[in-house]
Amino acid sequence: MASGRSLRVLHLYPELLNLYGDSGNILVLRKRMEWRGLACDVREVHMGERATLAGTDLVFIGGGSDREQRIVCDELLAQRRELASFVEDGGVLLAVCGGYQLLGHSYLMGEEKVRGLSLVDLYTDRGSPRLIGNVVVESRIAPQPIVGYENHGGRTHLGKGVESLGRVLRGHGNDGLSGEEGCLYRNVVGTYVHGPLLPKNPGVADWLIARALERRYGTGELEPLDDADELAANETMRARLLGTSRFGRH
Amino acid sequence: MSMRSVAATAAGRMVHAVLHGVLHRAASQLPGRVALAIDPQVVAHLRRKARKGSVVVCGTNGKTTTTNILAAALEEGGARVLCNRDGANMLPGVASALLPGRTADWAVIEADELSSIHILPQLRPTYLVLLNLFRDQLDRSGEIDHVQDVIVRALAASPETTLVTCGDDPLCVGVAERARATGTDVLAFGIDEDLGLPADRVPEARFCQRCGTELSYAYRTYAQLGAFLCPSCGFGRPELAYRAMHVRTGGGSVAFEVDDGETPPWPVQAAFGGVYLVYNLLAAVAIARRAGVGPEAFRRALDGYDPGNGRLQRFTIDGRPVMLNLAKNPTGLNQNISLMLADERPKAVHVIINDEANDGRDVSWLWDVDFERLADRQDVLFVMAGGHRANDLQVRLKYAGISAPVVLEMDEALGRAQALPSGSPLYVLTNYSALWPIKAELEGKERHDG
Repeated sequence: MASGRSLRVLHLYPELLNLYGDSGNILVLRKRMEWRGLACDVREVHMGERATLAGTDLVFIGGGSDREQRIVCDELLAQRRELASFVEDGGVLLAVCGGYQLLGHSYLMGEEKVRGLSLVDLYTDRGSPRLIGNVVVESRIAPQPIVGYENHGGRTHLGKGVESLGRVLRGHGNDGLSGEEGCLYRNVVGTYVHGPLLPKNPGVADWLIARALERRYGTGELEPLDDADELAANETMRARLLGTSRFGRH
Repeated sequence: MSMRSVAATAAGRMVHAVLHGVLHRAASQLPGRVALAIDPQVVAHLRRKARKGSVVVCGTNGKTTTTNILAAALEEGGARVLCNRDGANMLPGVASALLPGRTADWAVIEADELSSIHILPQLRPTYLVLLNLFRDQLDRSGEIDHVQDVIVRALAASPETTLVTCGDDPLCVGVAERARATGTDVLAFGIDEDLGLPADRVPEARFCQRCGTELSYAYRTYAQLGAFLCPSCGFGRPELAYRAMHVRTGGGSVAFEVDDGETPPWPVQAAFGGVYLVYNLLAAVAIARRAGVGPEAFRRALDGYDPGNGRLQRFTIDGRPVMLNLAKNPTGLNQNISLMLADERPKAVHVIINDEANDGRDVSWLWDVDFERLADRQDVLFVMAGGHRANDLQVRLKYAGISAPVVLEMDEALGRAQALPSGSPLYVLTNYSALWPIKAELEGKERHDG
């Protein structure tokens, strides 16, 4: 058990980016490391503080209201260069919902075009209506399709050659048209699946942990866990949404 | 009075009479729908029936309870009251509540926050009570900023309405400041002492409504409520017109005194609820007092208060106490957890989470609930996960350190509760769409039992 290995997780501005139970992602990362005897050192970065990326293995950016997202964007722009080298160096980053939009070149707040972090070649404009509802995405990083909830007015467009997180099986995804959802760039995952993405998608959680271990220790092999509950939650919603449920709700 | 509103009223009343008098069915929506179809402004006509005035009650949590207690207190004081007691809180429900009878003294109306924009311009109430604002069903209501905007606009469209709001809630005070700027009279109520309660999770309103600086608190009561102040611009708790003093909570009851600076302190006691109820009662006292109800009548109303509406409703089934309560958002569930933990008896908990349209389809909020507080307690013997999203709840509980079986039937939950020591309660917490079916099922079992 006691491998002596540990990972450092940086949670950016949890007091602002916490719209939909985002902290569930941190809890899941922590528990899934601890259950495997890996130490997990979570550091919260608060307003006015700089993210210390040296020694950091995994960064999480959640979603906030428009106003909060803007405050965070301004704060992070001042740290753009450090974040970009972290990403280029294979650092693991998970960004959901509004955090996902910050990864790109720009997004819209009202009519104003807000400059983003340009960590990934993508940009976000807007459309009507808001894209709201349960979503199922087939992704190469997880053995089971990703199940979650999306609620966004933004339409995100990936640059040429930028891989999406996966293909939409149910729901809207990046723009409601392309059939693609999220982005996958080096070890960066961006997605509109908001709030607690990881609990019902343990494969995604483990992919992130494995990439971080690989970068720090050279091997990303993970002990399997008993994921019966997580997979039952995933399977129940998937069956309901893809219409294979015996009960046929929704 | 226009021909159209006369016709609308007559049609609505006829539907009411058939549903209620002949079919013995609840008449909380349809009569109003029919009347509104004939005259969309029928509420503006019906409002004149309430001769002394009307009160609209808004707020994320506690609307139904506050509305019912206030209506009971006004009746105890001798008034005839029109009220949407069962919580049909959009415009058709309001119209339905106003239809029966020729005249009344008061109308006491629960209103959905976003429906306030449709209700206030027609009803032109004497008072709008705004209890609190928490995040709730973001997929349906949108962000809290939006809810605030709607209430401010509703008040602007009803200039004679006085806003009576929680001075301890920065989000309500944000609404009050903006409404005051457009001419609305504002009265604030709050708890004027440090209760020394452990702070629960504060997902919203950490920042100043005016300037965005992080708020500082002399103390908190729950969630974002407390004695707050912005260190940079001075945005803070306003002067309190109605102050709760000598507050005692815990053990499933509350007691306090209301000080309005004029009359002698007004003692209030309820054998249910926690700190959140102090605010609801304080709001009810404020309006009752202004409507001329005395402390004695208020006390009688509260002592006799047994709405049987699934809010802290008690049952006895096979000799076992069963407590049913609504918990439809993080703050509501966190307050329920506080209530359960104030009960030191060994207990079991059944949490039921659905995702129907009126619950909100998105259950992400389960991760904003402090289920961890249940994990460390020896007296919480076991927890069961129920509802259409039982599996999501089970995963949330797993990561809180609680191994909870999925239990979809009340019979199974009651069966498992047999393992509890005799006299130990089963707590049943459900969100909205499961509340009425579960209540009916428990009532059926109690009758069968009794």
